[in-house]
Order: sequence, then C-alpha cells, then structure tokens
Amino acid sequence: MHEFSIAEAILTQVQRHAPDDALVRDVSIRVGVLRGLEPEALQMSWTAVIAGTAIDGATLTVDQRPWTITCSTCGRSWTSAVPFVDCACGNTTPAPTGGDELDLVSITVDQEETS
Amino acid sequence: MSGQTRTVRLPVVERILEANDGIASSIRAELARRGIFAIDLIGAPGSGKTALLEATLRSLKGRRKPAVLVGDLTTRRDGDRLARWCDRVVQISTGEGCHLEAVQVRDALGGIDLEGVDLLFVENVGNLICPVGFDLGQSVKVGLFSLTEGDDKAAKHPYLVTAADLILLNKIDLAPHLTFDRSLFEADVRLLNPDVPILGISSTTGEGLDAWLAWLDRRAAGD
Repeated sequence: MHEFSIAEAILTQVQRHAPDDALVRDVSIRVGVLRGLEPEALQMSWTAVIAGTAIDGATLTVDQRPWTITCSTCGRSWTSAVPFVDCACGNTTPAPTGGDELDLVSITVDQEETS
Repeated sequence: MSGQTRTVRLPVVERILEANDGIASSIRAELARRGIFAIDLIGAPGSGKTALLEATLRSLKGRRKPAVLVGDLTTRRDGDRLARWCDRVVQISTGEGCHLEAVQVRDALGGIDLEGVDLLFVENVGNLICPVGFDLGQSVKVGLFSLTEGDDKAAKHPYLVTAADLILLNKIDLAPHLTFDRSLFEADVRLLNPDVPILGISSTTGEGLDAWLAWLDRRAAGD
C-alpha cells in the first residue's frame, strides 16, 4: 500500500511549507491516473499520518487526473476514467495516455491577522 | 495580535516524492561516475524475478561483474539463492513496505564494495503497482510478466507498462498448458507503450535468455 508512503511524504512537505503560526485546514494535491492511487486508501493513510501532529484534522483534496484517449482513425480526443475504451467511430483500439504527476498544489491555512 | 483570523490558500507546486527523487538523482550520478548500469526489475510475486536473476547471473559469470540488491518484506531466501551466483548481494527487508525507496538503495549500496562492478540488478518487492513510482536511480526499468498471471495483466497495470524500458514475458515454456493469448497481451502493451521491446523468455529452459542478455549489453553500452 504505497498510499501510506505518499501520505507521509505529503505531511513532511506540508510541515516544511506551512507558516509556523498558521492552522492548516486543507492540503490540495494533483495525481495522475498512472499512479494507481486508491482514493479511499489515501484518505485513510492521510488521517492516520496526521493524527497527533500539528495539522491533525486537515482535509486532503485530491485532484485525480483522468486518462486521455486519442483515436488515430477519426482524430477525436477525450478524457476517460478507464484506459481501454472504444471510439464512437468504431475503432476498438484508441490509444490511452495518462500522466504520472504527483504534486502538492496548495495548502489552505487560517492565519492570524497581524494588522 | 488582534485575534482575527483569515483563511488563505498558499500555492506550493512541488513534487510530492521530491525527497525520494533527490536521493535517486544522487544515486544515478554516483552509478554513472562508476560506470555501473542499473536495472530496476519489477514484477508480481511469483512472476520469476529471482529465477530470472539466477539464470542471468549464471550466464554473466566471468563476463560481467554484477551486484544485486533484493527487496522483500521478510526472509533472506531470495538473497541466499542469488548469493550462489554472485558475491555482492544485499537483501533489503522492507518490513511492511510494498516497494523499495531510494534511501534503502543508497544505504544498501553503502554496504557493497562497488570497485569494478559494472551491472547493478535491483529486484524490487513483488508488486506491479507501488514500486513503479519510486525512482531508485536506475538506468532502466524492466517489467517482468509471466504466462501464469494471465494475458490481461499488462492492461490492468498500465503504469508499469508505460514506465518500462523492456517487457519480459516469462514462463513461455508453459504455453502449451495455458490459455494465455500472447497477441492480446502484446496488443495491450502496444497501446500503452508503442515502442517498448517485448521478449518472451523461460528462466527454466533458457529460451529467450540470449535476447535478454543482448538487450542488456546493448543498453549498458549506451545504445
């Protein structure tokens, strides 16, 4: 279950980037479909790794990027949750391409107004 | 402090596995400096990773100076098997870890005399998903599938197929006893990774091993 390793890596990054005086509300990440990350397992791992830390309770928002399917017969291109699909033109083997991005995108925090 | 709080979204675009990737880059640089070609071997439990390495090490004896890192959740059995063919073998016990990470490879390499070594085989933990996304500083990734796993294995594990520099299809000697549709397997691989070479092999009979070793020699020579 690599979701746990990834949740730990996210926690380390958040601890490095979040301002000391801020309360972390949400962490947003982007995940390419190739990574094969199981959303439920990732959320479960996230809850487990942040328990008892300063960011305990922060939510994890996952932007899961889909497959891009490209048909070489008719030239159509679309996104899909699954890689092996038929094209409307009848081609049964359009090419699936997916990304393997695994990026931290943003951290949402509550900060004290210092004005 | 006024006690007022405001909610702000701080954009931080950074690779999540940046720490692992940084260590992998330093391993890659060190291996390049020493002229070591490194293979990350990824396959399911029972696909024949250790048997393939045994056959490979046997064939390379006297011709190459390999080192082997072998990852397993537990036991030293694979390492012991491989130590019969190579005197630079390190078993990495990952405990509950389903994959190797760069830090484990770096630490294991620290325990081997790398003088004169020209090939490094890393037998990853038996798993077709988790190991693929963790850069270990390898030169190439080899995806090992086998006939007994079924012909839909490549389609179900697209990350390994797209990331692999070579796909090996093991246990081809069992073809008469199985209903494995090799053309379907290869068509799925081709859709995901149009140019990757696919070699059929049998570690038991030795069939196809020459082509695998030739590929290895060619890639290690920089072709």
